[in-house]
Amino acid sequence: MFNFLQKLYYGARVYLNKGGGQSETVEIAGKSTVIISGGEGEPFVYLHSALGESMMWFPFFAGFANKFRVIAPTHPGFGKSGGFDDVADIEDMAFHYIEMFDALGLEQIHLGGVSLGGWIAAEIAVRWPERVKKLWIADAPGVWVDGTPLGDLFRLMQNREKLRELLFFDPHGAMASLVIKDQPDEQMMLYAYQAMTVLARMVWQRPYDPKLARRLHRIACPTLLLWGDHDKLVPPAYGEEYKKHIRGAEMRLIKDCGHLPMFEAESEFVEAISAFCSA
Amino acid sequence: MKYFFFHLMSWPHLPADFDAKYDSAWIWTPNTLYDPVKGHELYREYINTLAYAEELGFDGVCVNEHHQNAYGLMPSPNVIAGALTQRTQKMKIAVIGNALPLYNPPLRVAEEFAMLDVMSNGRLMAGMVIGGGPEYFSYQIEPTTAREKFREALDLIVKAWTTPGPFTWHSKHYFFQYVNPWPTPMQKPHPPIWIPGVGSLETIEFVAQRRYAYMGVPYFHIDVFRKVFAQFREACEKAGYKAHPEQMGWGVPIYVAETDKQAREEFEPGLWYFVKNLLKGIGLTPPGYTSAKSAAAILKNQNYFLYKQETWDDIENGVFAIVGSPETVRQKLERYQKELGVGVVLTGCQVGALPHHLARKSMELLAREVLPHTRMS
Repeated sequence: MFNFLQKLYYGARVYLNKGGGQSETVEIAGKSTVIISGGEGEPFVYLHSALGESMMWFPFFAGFANKFRVIAPTHPGFGKSGGFDDVADIEDMAFHYIEMFDALGLEQIHLGGVSLGGWIAAEIAVRWPERVKKLWIADAPGVWVDGTPLGDLFRLMQNREKLRELLFFDPHGAMASLVIKDQPDEQMMLYAYQAMTVLARMVWQRPYDPKLARRLHRIACPTLLLWGDHDKLVPPAYGEEYKKHIRGAEMRLIKDCGHLPMFEAESEFVEAISAFCSA
Repeated sequence: MKYFFFHLMSWPHLPADFDAKYDSAWIWTPNTLYDPVKGHELYREYINTLAYAEELGFDGVCVNEHHQNAYGLMPSPNVIAGALTQRTQKMKIAVIGNALPLYNPPLRVAEEFAMLDVMSNGRLMAGMVIGGGPEYFSYQIEPTTAREKFREALDLIVKAWTTPGPFTWHSKHYFFQYVNPWPTPMQKPHPPIWIPGVGSLETIEFVAQRRYAYMGVPYFHIDVFRKVFAQFREACEKAGYKAHPEQMGWGVPIYVAETDKQAREEFEPGLWYFVKNLLKGIGLTPPGYTSAKSAAAILKNQNYFLYKQETWDDIENGVFAIVGSPETVRQKLERYQKELGVGVVLTGCQVGALPHHLARKSMELLAREVLPHTRMS
């Protein structure tokens, strides 16, 4: 019964939030880019994971929008954003976003992301450290830790149950089946295939950037590393590896949480990041 | 009509509980299940059988490339083809094919195929293929540019064979200051190019436009082949010419024994070994390997694939294999090769765990009592 209520509760909040974000399409160096935004205050750019969660104004966005001007773009190739042919690797993603910041007139921003998005945020911060006021990275790949292999998303992608086990602390919880639906509609399946295709282009050959670790020392701003303590796809050792290379970075584990803290530990996720960026 | 003996070199020694214990015969199936001592015997026997095909009057043999799996033990089909150039004198050796995006540089294919063509005195059929989904896992090749790389590599190889070197090559994925392979192929302008396909319209149209030959990979329902070859003929018309029958190859397992009953009894266990164990996992395709539209079509057409068949009736009704007495096989082969309009049949005579002596017996019956009749029809 509790599960049902929780599901209904979250579902209802998602529903109520539908009108919450303002969605627009902006042309960034020839790539049409969908951006969802809301709230007022200092600019806060959220870079999404391979789930493509920025296609909807989820409750965690509303949480951030209480304090910040949230800007959540959809990556090239995901959902209705174009430009897949123009991104060959993670560096192209970083360049895409610095051009977006320029186009939107964003001088200095709070920047962060989950998983793929966190990695892109790191790639931006090492190249243009002066543009980032605060950096947060959650459950992100990008570096390599010997002896701690990453989970294989591509092996399990057709098996929903195993996928939930890989991504969630509680694979049987309501949230796991809300995010990984048993019967997704055709549009969702198409978006998921597109998303996995972009991800494959970024990580297939090598699921990290061999140059990133030796560039991380360039990051000049306060940095928060936030990880689900049960992340099986990108284990917390990856957060520790980031910490090793980023001066003064703070590593924080979220208890009983998997790879997707914005869903599985929404309030802790929002509070930790909001407090860090406001401090 | 040309008959090529199609061989996979499958691993026949998987444990009896393989299907229950393992989720795939590909990529991550532990190679502790492989035994090099048995493997030595197996290569010897398989190569002998392939050479025997020439003695029996087959027009050629097909070998092919697969990696990290129990389904086909020729990670380098060129090595087997090399051995065959020295064991045979007349028949064609079709390597179908080399998976071009897996070769870096792809000039390696231009070189090795030219070696085979020269060593065999011009008997090579040069098969080029994108490579199945599992190969992209096994070789960790980025799948979203597979098709681009395939096209570029193919153009590069053909140019390397037909344009005097050295020349400079530049394309999206490849750059070479000096393209200048030694040796160059024996056949002019180059060995016939065979492209294996599993029914994607994109590939059919490409092969038709280039006037290459399309080899329909076995293990599909006869309706799939009907559609594929009709589409191929149409694509050739669109390209302004009439398809030559030898541009179309149909792959199908064939087994002949003294009677229909005996044929089924001898062949069926080896076939199910193949279906239940070796085809397991073959359909895993990485994202971006095909367009989203093609990926959806593949999912929809799964029921037309051998892996989904469960009963002998399924096999017979879908013509997933032609099995029976010489008379039965003669009739079926005649009927379908005519109906499909193909000029090449790739006969799968050694499927799964079929014992060697039975494979040989079937090949003999096929060559002596079936092919002389069906060849002319």
